[in-house]
Amino acid sequence: MAYLAIENLAKYFGSVTAVDHVSLEIERGEFLTLLGPSGCGKTTILRMIAGFEIPSEGRILLEDEDITNRPANKRPMGMVFQSYALFPHMTAEQNIAFGMEIKRLPKEQVKRRCAELLELVGLADAGRRYPHQLSGGQQQRVALARALAIEPKVLLLDEPLSALDAKVRVNLRNEIRRIQQQLKMTAIYVTHDQEEALAISDRIAVMARGHIEQLDRPEEIYSNPHTVFAATFVGSSNQFHAIVESPAEGICRVGEMQLRVPPLRERRKGDRVLLVIRPEEVTLRNVEEMGANGSPGIDTNMLSGYIELRTFLGPFTRFLVRSSLGMLTADVHSQSARGYEVGQQVYAVFPASASQALLLDAAEAELVQMVDAERI
Amino acid sequence: MSAVQQKSRARAFIVSLDALFLLLVVIYLVVPLIATLVFGLQGGKGLDVHSYQEIFTDKNFGQTLQLSLELALATTLLAVILVTPTVYWVQMRLPGVRIVLDILSLIPFAVPPIIMSLGLLEVYGSSNLLINVLSLGLVPILSNNPFNIVNTPQLLVCAYVIVALPYVYRPIDNSMRAINTTVLTEAAYSLGSGWWRTFLRIIMPNIWPGIISAALLTFSTVMGEFTLASLFGIFTFPIYLNEVGQSDAHKAASLAVLSFLLTLLCVLGIILLVRRRPGQQVEIAAAR
Repeated sequence: MAYLAIENLAKYFGSVTAVDHVSLEIERGEFLTLLGPSGCGKTTILRMIAGFEIPSEGRILLEDEDITNRPANKRPMGMVFQSYALFPHMTAEQNIAFGMEIKRLPKEQVKRRCAELLELVGLADAGRRYPHQLSGGQQQRVALARALAIEPKVLLLDEPLSALDAKVRVNLRNEIRRIQQQLKMTAIYVTHDQEEALAISDRIAVMARGHIEQLDRPEEIYSNPHTVFAATFVGSSNQFHAIVESPAEGICRVGEMQLRVPPLRERRKGDRVLLVIRPEEVTLRNVEEMGANGSPGIDTNMLSGYIELRTFLGPFTRFLVRSSLGMLTADVHSQSARGYEVGQQVYAVFPASASQALLLDAAEAELVQMVDAERI
Repeated sequence: MSAVQQKSRARAFIVSLDALFLLLVVIYLVVPLIATLVFGLQGGKGLDVHSYQEIFTDKNFGQTLQLSLELALATTLLAVILVTPTVYWVQMRLPGVRIVLDILSLIPFAVPPIIMSLGLLEVYGSSNLLINVLSLGLVPILSNNPFNIVNTPQLLVCAYVIVALPYVYRPIDNSMRAINTTVLTEAAYSLGSGWWRTFLRIIMPNIWPGIISAALLTFSTVMGEFTLASLFGIFTFPIYLNEVGQSDAHKAASLAVLSFLLTLLCVLGIILLVRRRPGQQVEIAAAR
């Protein structure tokens, strides 16, 4: 049996369904991330686990015990908030001690543990400071220490890094992961930042419209998305609307062109699919070079086009190629990117195995459009 | 060069205008006070402190002052204790009811003191079945032995709490909106704190400035309240002041100065009490 289990959890706000019968199991010591756009229900799930919202349906079980209706202050959960929520009139130390004082721990023990926790979050000298004397990142470290002080069974983090600068965000997310692993703490993390989710989690639940689209390890979510939404929300990708021509051979038609994909056992001829190709799977070839060597092979797709934009991004260089199928993004290692310039005619090449063909029904198409609109 | 000169001249002009307005305000506020002080000291021939001696030997002075201080303190405490948890409760659990509180807190401005005092005396003074039922039996208990609340300072305190409602509700509601009440409450709950502990240890210290300004406003309002006290027939300091004024204008002027100084002392005392908490103001400002 799982450490924390959510069974068929639903939450309605009036006529709006925020969470639509979600089930989820989390193992002890696991770091699970709920990832999705705003309004997908991820925060509502977290708040129901914390006890701040009462589920309309379903159960929450912690170590096989039903805690669905237990008040928030009687649940063994530590919570870290987006806005830090430190008590402004208390020093960092007093903030951390607050939960332990409620538990009536002996004074010496509280003091010792405060010092340990401040050390753990890298703020050994900041105990006497008030929240307004600390930076955003430091405040969130104190909030983390405060949540850990009560030795919770599950640590809940509600977009804890959203209010911080990019650099602090990366540092602190590594810190959170390090501390979670060091303490073997079970953690549920809510974010809309897919990069953050990929970097920090043991498993990710990609959410949309109140339900889980895909629950998997980060690598799987990225390289083997199961739905169009998961593919478009996580990472950047090239996308082509296509129609299946031969499922067994893995051939799809995009406009006038045929593209090769892995064999599609679950699709039928005539199905509408979305082809998803990650930019780093696309390589560029010189037209002259290709002319000499001939076809790149049966398992490779090749599109001719012009380089329209070249962006140097450090370790790799991003090319926007205008091809017969529309714009195509290719992320090429910067070392191999030398010799490709704007205006040059090239072939964009990607293996059949790199293209995912995901079934595109009307609902999925609408969902993707909605998320794209939000990103703009 | 000339542009710079013009600019600095313009700035000097604005500064002097500021000073002028400040001076006008100070004159407006201080001149009547000084005039009252001087008038009070002109009782006999030339300057004498005769009227002050009279005041301090008059036993009514001490008695009415004590009564008014007690009334002010009781009203302040009762109003703050009633309103603060209510506002917190409404903010957390019944946000839809806030509009009702907003309207309720304005009603005392609309009801003239004569109506309020007659209404309260009517409610507590004569037995009425409907009121007995509506008040869940509280009114008959308070109206009869052993409480006999009619025409007592206790009932006056209740009336004062109603009068003070806008002064108490507004600042407390404003400061509660200014801090992130919901998130702070949730943070405290997640650490195992219950409602009362959260309210007393987390919310109260952070809305302290609002509570203090509510207390100051209530205290000074009650200290100077005349109409209700006179209608209730209770001999408070403002009524004593009025009585003295009808017989001896110089003594009344001295009394007015004394009462001003006294209220000033109380207000300063409360402000100093707040200031003593180190860093409090800054933290609250930062929290906003």
